[in-house]
Amino acid sequence: MIDTKQPILCAQDIEVQFTLRGQKLTAIRGCSLDLYDGETLAIVGESGSGKSVFTKLFVGMLDKNGEITRGSIEYQGMDLAKIRSEKQWVNIRGGKIAMVTQDPMTSLNPLKKIGLQIQEAIELHRGLRGSAAKEKTIQMLEMVGIPEPERRYHQYPHEFSGGMRQRVVIAIAVACKPQILICDEPTTALDVTIQAQIIELIRKLQKEENMTIIYITHDLGVVANVADRVAVMYAGQIVEVGTANEIFYDSWHPYTWALLSAMPQLGVKGESLPAIDGTPPNLYNHIQGSAFAPRDKQALNVDFLQDPPIFKLSDSHFSKTWMLDARAPKIKQPDAIQRLSSAKYGQTVANLEHPHEDPNRETLIEARNLKVTFGTGRKRFLAVNNVNFSIYKGETFALVGESGSGKTTIGRALLRINPVSSGEVLYKGHRISGKISKELDLEVIRGCQMIFQDPMASLNERAKVDYIVSEGIINHRLYIDEADRQRKVQEVLGEVGLLPEFASRFPHEFSGGQRQRIGIARALIMRPEFIVADEPISALDVSIRAQVLNLLNELKVKYGLTYMFIAHDLSVVRFISNRIAVIHQGNIVELAEAEELFAHPMHPYTRSLLSAVPMPDPIHEKKKKLLVYNPDCHDYSIDKPNWVEARPGHFVYANQRELEEYQNEYGA
Amino acid sequence: MQEARVIYNVDKHAVPFPEGSNELYIQALPGKPAFDFAEYHPEEAERTGSSEYSYWRSVWRNFVKKKSAVAMLVIFSLLFLFTFIAPIISKYDVHNLRIVDDLMFTRPNSTFWFGTDNLGRDYWSQVWYATRTSIILAVSVSAGQIIMGVLIGLVWGYVRSLDRFFTELYNFINNIPTIIYMTLIALMIGKSTLVMGLSMILFGWLGTARNIRNLVFMYRDREYNLASRCLGTSTWRILTRNIVPYLVSVIVLRLALAIPGTIAYETTLTYLGLMDISTPSLGILLRNARSFFLDYPYLLVFPAAIVSTITITFYLAGNAFSDACDPRNHL
Repeated sequence: MIDTKQPILCAQDIEVQFTLRGQKLTAIRGCSLDLYDGETLAIVGESGSGKSVFTKLFVGMLDKNGEITRGSIEYQGMDLAKIRSEKQWVNIRGGKIAMVTQDPMTSLNPLKKIGLQIQEAIELHRGLRGSAAKEKTIQMLEMVGIPEPERRYHQYPHEFSGGMRQRVVIAIAVACKPQILICDEPTTALDVTIQAQIIELIRKLQKEENMTIIYITHDLGVVANVADRVAVMYAGQIVEVGTANEIFYDSWHPYTWALLSAMPQLGVKGESLPAIDGTPPNLYNHIQGSAFAPRDKQALNVDFLQDPPIFKLSDSHFSKTWMLDARAPKIKQPDAIQRLSSAKYGQTVANLEHPHEDPNRETLIEARNLKVTFGTGRKRFLAVNNVNFSIYKGETFALVGESGSGKTTIGRALLRINPVSSGEVLYKGHRISGKISKELDLEVIRGCQMIFQDPMASLNERAKVDYIVSEGIINHRLYIDEADRQRKVQEVLGEVGLLPEFASRFPHEFSGGQRQRIGIARALIMRPEFIVADEPISALDVSIRAQVLNLLNELKVKYGLTYMFIAHDLSVVRFISNRIAVIHQGNIVELAEAEELFAHPMHPYTRSLLSAVPMPDPIHEKKKKLLVYNPDCHDYSIDKPNWVEARPGHFVYANQRELEEYQNEYGA
Repeated sequence: MQEARVIYNVDKHAVPFPEGSNELYIQALPGKPAFDFAEYHPEEAERTGSSEYSYWRSVWRNFVKKKSAVAMLVIFSLLFLFTFIAPIISKYDVHNLRIVDDLMFTRPNSTFWFGTDNLGRDYWSQVWYATRTSIILAVSVSAGQIIMGVLIGLVWGYVRSLDRFFTELYNFINNIPTIIYMTLIALMIGKSTLVMGLSMILFGWLGTARNIRNLVFMYRDREYNLASRCLGTSTWRILTRNIVPYLVSVIVLRLALAIPGTIAYETTLTYLGLMDISTPSLGILLRNARSFFLDYPYLLVFPAAIVSTITITFYLAGNAFSDACDPRNHL
């Protein structure tokens, strides 16, 4: 189907270099790519792989210190790589090739009405004026799914939510009637349910406006949903390109394998994920041979010597690896790919546990009628509303919700970073919220620790790893002498898989995954029993996530740790947790064992979350139906809702009528 | 495995790979055929480019890179050093200057290198002595102001419950011109250099404190500080280990700006007659020169040139040093 079409844009052997403080960084190292009319091409890669830089070339938005040093980009008889004047770009940018960027907060002018911002683009590119332009603007607003467009026309960006703003940005881009729309991580900053809606919108607009879309993302789940064709980028090169089905079900590049295998969605619960060690290469250095070789467990000697050629697997599928050479040893595709192509993932669960059936389980942490409010007087905001749960020793308790749902606040309230407004927190049966004795305070500090979301922000940049890791034991003199302290630091660094010499370095020398492991070491050195992990992997690159998940699971087994795992992504949580609580606007709406929750979701909010989670499986993604949760669907006027046990160990916030409905559906 | 064939090789600069033979690569890797699995070293994947980063060494390296700033620092140091040498080579002792009527307003010559003042006293020894006094006064007063400002700013920014108190204190002091306080102190307590120096510190911390407070606000709730609180780190330790290191470049900049500021302020106070005039300082010389400089411009030129030199060198060198302290500029 594809080979009959002519490419509308054709990039040949592009090389891009940046000059940073006198040093040369080669961000793109020979990329060739064809774009066909009407398709959606997804470019996947980790941060720093060059995917954004590469597509920015198509709209002439390369940063000032960057330069195309080789190659050409053919588009409508022009070579975009040769254009130097801003004037020529203005003709192409917007009208022919438009771009939607990641952050909807910064891509709109906060001082200008939403309507006028769209109208500006319409007047410029469609030649409409006055009331005709305004009418078209309102049509556009309606087209991107903004309710009450006439009223919304006169509003400012701060009156819109993140998802709505991204819709406006898309409206502006589409208003120019571009032939090619580049979406650079358009949903990364958004919640999963909103993300699913935006993706649907982009797909709908593509059909209506007959656009060709380049979709840049790091999330293979999103790729499976949107893409006709997929290009996988690593260290400034396209290492594999093919149709979505070819990439997901029959890929041959070791990096694509590693990426797919490392996804928790395709892992087997209870087993460790096949993680990719290390970090992407430093592009300041000259790369000899295949850039992925040092991290590839099955690399060949030749990989370290010469850059692999591109092998053709089918008319649309190309892969840049020596593995396909006739002389290379024959190996099988990894298990995850085989599970994926036979659609046998997510069911294989090794030794399923049922903690609720264990009568001897010991409660470690208990929250009773927990309420947290912020602000005072009229600006009072109820972040957590009457939340009750217990966390048992040795389990991983997941708290899942969207941004602003109060999940982080609960985690911080348990660790006494945020004060509790009413209700109480019990640790091993002792109340630890409010004022407590000094001995108990020390015990709680030693027993309960936290791992933070952003590895960039959670380490003190001006302290050496040695100090960061031993901060806890220095505070409470938990060591005998200096030698003992150093021994403890070395021991804990080893446990999280870092080299001993890292102790004398500063955090900025480490990659995100390594920094996150330093953060884990800092908590671990206190030998805690309970760890709150606040989205520990969501800020990490896909290839790094598995390392951290594996480490958390190993440590759990080794030290009998108990985790509260805060996340927004249900699919990751399913892999790691024993029980899951779903939280919506400060209320826990459903709580059940992980597999039970996936098999029998009850609350409509849980169902909508489940429907929105992207899976790295194109066939599954393309036929899934999105459920949108509307809080008004509950009728609580007469029949008041309660926290009830609908099935054994499965709690839901529902009223009597809803409870009966749920029980009829699944059986009590 | 599917049938595969090479369609094109992107890496045109690489050696063409000879079909069917591994010899080239056997040479490069003795005993390791090209298409065998390589040994896998997980720690190789983990290793990052090793570097010997040290904060202060990077600061110094960055500072030295800016030649003009280094020149400024050298000029200032020489000037300060010279204030100690000048009295030695001078022919007249500054503490035993005689008032000689017929030597009034002698223009600079070989005997009186900077001429004499309105009372016929040697100007050279006066100017250098005054420079030394002014620099020592400026450095100690500025250091006092900055230390006080940083300490108050840290507490003000970090301890939420004290925010209101310090804000009101700031408003109270700031809303009345400092010159009024200084006048009152000079009239009620005395004009001695010590008293005036201490009062300059007492009313000079405001700007720094406010600046520091705003920055502390920015850093206070960063995740790394929450992590420290989780570990039970004391507030004092969080302030000194987690927050102050981030403020070094701002503190250095404020210090670099405070020193010329203090010299200027001291000159103003002297001009208004609020300083003790028994020890010559640059302010006193300038005040004195004011009445005669139309006829005898050299009286103004020498101290003014020195004040300008101190101000400019310190400002430029301080700015460069503060930039060098900012780790965003470290490689």
